[in-house]
Amino acid sequence: MKRQHEDAGREGDCPVAMGLETGKGKMVPMMTTGDGECGVDELLAALGYKVRASDMADVAHKLEQLDVAMSSDDASHFPQFASDTVHYDPSDLSTWLDSMLCEVNSPLPTLLPSPTATAHCSNGHSLSISSNSTVTKDSTAAPPSASGVYDFEPVPSPAAASVGRVVYETDPQSEKILSPRDSKRIRTCSSSSSSGGPTKEVASFLKQATAALPVVVVDTQETGIRLVHALLACGEAVQQENLNAADALVKQISVLAAFQRGPMRKVAGYFAEALARRIYRHNPLPQADRVALDFLHSHFYESAPYLKFAHFTANQAILEAFAGCHRVHVVDFGLKQGMQWPALLQALALRPGGPPSFRLTGIGPPQTDNSDELQEVGWKLTMLSENIGIDFHFRGFLASSLADIEPQMLLEPEGKKGERDGGDEAVAVNSVMELHQLLARPGAVEKVLGTARALRPRIMTVVEEEANHNGRTFLERFTESLHYYSSMFDSLDNGANGEAEEEIEEQRRHREMADAYLGRQICNVVASEGMDRTERHETLGRWRERMAQAGFEPVHLGSNAFKQANMLLALYASGDGFRVEEAEGCLTLGWHTRPLIATSAWRIGAAAAIR
Amino acid sequence: MMMLLLPHREEEEEGGAAGRRRFPINDNADLLAEVLGRLDGRSLAVAGCVCRLWSAVGRREAVWEAVCHRHVAVGRAGAAGGTRSVVAALGGYRRLYRLCIGPALDRLAGVRRQGPAVSSSSSAARHVSLSLALSLFSIDCYERLGGVGGRQQQPPASLLFLCKPVDVS
Repeated sequence: MKRQHEDAGREGDCPVAMGLETGKGKMVPMMTTGDGECGVDELLAALGYKVRASDMADVAHKLEQLDVAMSSDDASHFPQFASDTVHYDPSDLSTWLDSMLCEVNSPLPTLLPSPTATAHCSNGHSLSISSNSTVTKDSTAAPPSASGVYDFEPVPSPAAASVGRVVYETDPQSEKILSPRDSKRIRTCSSSSSSGGPTKEVASFLKQATAALPVVVVDTQETGIRLVHALLACGEAVQQENLNAADALVKQISVLAAFQRGPMRKVAGYFAEALARRIYRHNPLPQADRVALDFLHSHFYESAPYLKFAHFTANQAILEAFAGCHRVHVVDFGLKQGMQWPALLQALALRPGGPPSFRLTGIGPPQTDNSDELQEVGWKLTMLSENIGIDFHFRGFLASSLADIEPQMLLEPEGKKGERDGGDEAVAVNSVMELHQLLARPGAVEKVLGTARALRPRIMTVVEEEANHNGRTFLERFTESLHYYSSMFDSLDNGANGEAEEEIEEQRRHREMADAYLGRQICNVVASEGMDRTERHETLGRWRERMAQAGFEPVHLGSNAFKQANMLLALYASGDGFRVEEAEGCLTLGWHTRPLIATSAWRIGAAAAIR
Repeated sequence: MMMLLLPHREEEEEGGAAGRRRFPINDNADLLAEVLGRLDGRSLAVAGCVCRLWSAVGRREAVWEAVCHRHVAVGRAGAAGGTRSVVAALGGYRRLYRLCIGPALDRLAGVRRQGPAVSSSSSAARHVSLSLALSLFSIDCYERLGGVGGRQQQPPASLLFLCKPVDVS
């Protein structure tokens, strides 16, 4: 199976230009694809074809129509093709196809590409069907021997060439040009059909592809590019309410995604599902009950360092803020399984001067079944505190939205104040990935920040995803989330060098659940709208603005937090890909160059404190 | 009693417990503990397989405490007594080493083995601190606490990330 690379300046260069990792099948965020916005598909432009990304679906359709037209009046037209001398420039594929279609549909003989276009084609691609594809062999659309033409052979035999292809007296060279293409990639949307013969193959192949028959693709890197292009094109189609094109593209995405490996495949799969939901207006994912969501969340906690990073850095900030205080009170906006607090309890127990008396108020959503998750967590934390010798009190609040909480509920009941010694208690407010959900309702986040300020906390720790998934337009949110979740899935993929290392069975299960957790987020960002769209992530800059507006000023997370975060990350297997960075006192954890989660700490600003 | 250091010219007897001037190490468990406390974790665990005495001494918390402190960077010098009680409450030094410190050291050693191609920013972090180890340990201990109604608990998994995958090299 010899691959023949006809020319140097081929597709091989284009992926490099796009900065993809070679041959790993990984999705790398592409900052600008030039797709859609500037109009011309970059890859095809490199081949000499000008096709707009937004037109690609149309081009696909037209090729299909061309195929139908040509296969229906087989006998009559082909001899005419062979002798006609009208030349159209096939580099503008769209127009060329239009002209072809007009002339096929009318009985006039149509065009042959010029010899210059043929030379063009030597740089071009034709659709190739790998002979490995059993589906191709089974398909009835193309004659079986056609797949033989696309075998990995240097030169097709003339006998094979003559079957099912237009007989060309004038241009035997085109056949030779075609052959080295064999081993190449699939272009479902493009066609370099410079000769009428391959056109039939091309069109018939396309017909197969649009019938969603999977074809083996040899070069996953190429399909990777195609996949990203298809995703972006689909996003744009949805943005423009062009649901037919979006529909076609979603099917394509599913097909292409099936040939990827690893994180790219997962990302494409989840996005395809979310897009399909949006296009077909399925009801958004039913609100899974809290048990299931907590289950997924805890698996995400186990399999990725993000939540541990968040907890450890927030705990360090709280620990430092509580230095010297004898009574402390922590308000947790999202208690979930309480995984953040054992480490803080242990650190408080070991601090010089002995542990303070510790009160925890945990807020959680109401349970659908009768189990009382919140109380159980409180009970476990109480047991742990007893073991290590801390005076611990717990209170749980059930609230379907944080905005329902009033400050009076959280403050200490009046009568008890005098009983304890040690003076007033120091308060810390902790919010890990809870605030962005409030942005769905106008005014909610301001109310919650107001409630937090009314508690007069010494410190408020905020952890949020570092992404902008709350843009005004769908396309903005779509492209942003595509980049974000690509990086996220990349980082979860367990091998530093791209190949999945052997994992313990349990680790694999955790990762699958973590993937599902992220998949739900993707579905929410892409498919939901209005009040249902709760995953409204915003960037650190935007949160800084909001906190400042609410009367908070930033507290720098110290070097201890930074060092501890680095030590934690050093323990992870794919350690070197993770980056802890410090940005104006806030810490971010990211994958290579992309920050994915940010921790920041706040206290009441001097101006606001006067009020 | 460091009588072991006295020069002696008599023939050596094996396991001579009556030892007139021989003081086999097995006679003095505290001395044995001192020696074992200077081993690294793996060697200490192996030493526990020698005989019953060594196994018993090798399980002493004090021995494992020495091992732990030898292998981690202790941030604060003080509160040693407090640390002891907290660690005991969480499960003990031997468990701490087995679950947290040992795997962490292995992981870091593995990373170091992979070559000097590590970035300078993280090279400073290539050691385990006691506070980090204790944090992870406390999370694991918390996970193992049973629920109130005896509900089906998930097996504790917060330390899985430290587990060594099957070596496929």
